[in-house]
Amino acid sequence: MRIMRSFLLFVGVMLLQWWWNTHLAYWGAAPQFLLALTVLIAARRGSVTAMLIGFAWGIFVDTLRADLFGANALLYTVAGYWAGMARKQIDLRAMGPLAAVVFILSWGYTLMIGVVGLVFQKSFLWIGWVPALLTPFLNALTASVAAVVWEAWGEP
Amino acid sequence: MQRENRIAHYVVGMLTTLSLVLLSMPLSSPVRSAKALASYIFDPISYEGERGAQKMAGVPARVRELLTADLQNRILQEELRGITWIKLTIESLSLENKRLRRALGLKMSSGRHPIWAHVMERDPLHWYRSVSVDAGSDLDVSLNDPVLGRNGDVLVAVGRVVEVRPRTSTVLLLSDERSAVAAYLSSATLEGLAQGQDSPHLRMNYINAEAKLFLGDFIYTSPTSATFPPDVLIGRVAKVYPRDPFLTFQAVEVAPFLDATSLQEVLILRTRQSEREPAAEEEPAGTEQAPR
Repeated sequence: MRIMRSFLLFVGVMLLQWWWNTHLAYWGAAPQFLLALTVLIAARRGSVTAMLIGFAWGIFVDTLRADLFGANALLYTVAGYWAGMARKQIDLRAMGPLAAVVFILSWGYTLMIGVVGLVFQKSFLWIGWVPALLTPFLNALTASVAAVVWEAWGEP
Repeated sequence: MQRENRIAHYVVGMLTTLSLVLLSMPLSSPVRSAKALASYIFDPISYEGERGAQKMAGVPARVRELLTADLQNRILQEELRGITWIKLTIESLSLENKRLRRALGLKMSSGRHPIWAHVMERDPLHWYRSVSVDAGSDLDVSLNDPVLGRNGDVLVAVGRVVEVRPRTSTVLLLSDERSAVAAYLSSATLEGLAQGQDSPHLRMNYINAEAKLFLGDFIYTSPTSATFPPDVLIGRVAKVYPRDPFLTFQAVEVAPFLDATSLQEVLILRTRQSEREPAAEEEPAGTEQAPR
């Protein structure tokens, strides 16, 4: 049963991310469900699970773009690892710290995707001011809502 | 805890290395294969997602259509209740008419049995001449049955059946130059003959030479018409031709009330009724009510 629910979560969040990006993104700003959920999984199930799922989700995001295949896989893996390490110091089950960590990681993602572009494509990939400023807030909100849903779904 | 940390370090190292390999060798064959494999696995998500989104996008419109249809259905049911009463009245009047005709020794009018048919085909070379419809002898359509069209709520004379096949028929339009129908002008009940011109307009000849004619006058089928029931709308006077001193009558140009080229469906007034259909009454309820 748990495997089934995990599979549904894995596919469902990818579908949600694709659908939101395609139909509901305004000025390039859309919540990064996959990143927020990777951090949430790291907070609830540990860094190893989060890294494996984050890597797969990253590959999914990478298949949707033409360049930098592996960039999102790398960043989501690192986000899962970092959040897994952080949960030993901070109580990430609480909504406030979780939202703060997601907010910081979102900014880190924005900068790091630029750096990855600089290293592998010789140009800093800047996602634009509106997404850069809005996305961290949207991600923090998403993580908070996802944590509530996670509890309601009866997941540990 | 130490063991968990160690595993986490191994996994992050492994996945990071894998990601860096993917990033650093984007054009190598293994990386391209990996990307193709990932696309093969993940593409159905976006493909099926898009199909699902399209289906979902159509749902509000369908729900709206359903609600509109429900409202229309209620309105039509209300109208139908009223029409049932009108039908009873017409049947009663028809029977009364029949009794009176019999009492006065008048000839009985022939009954007609309307049937709707769809226009199947038009010959582009004979646009204003004829159309084919999807009702034939199987539905008791017979030669010279009058054919009407609908413009809004008004029934309009369109032509007559000139060829009957088992499942289809050919309708000769009023605009064909071989067509002619006895007609009268609404303002002065002046009789004449509306004839086709192989063009969008008809010409009405043989109008009394002394009569005053007006533009926009309505033209209806005459009771003397051999084919059409009386008082069916044909069109309006579009132009009064100057009087020809060598002729003893006047003529007008008639703009048909229904453009034959826009016909989608037609009403055929059949003169014979199938045995398959239930007989209405001894004398049918009469012809289709001619609009005025």
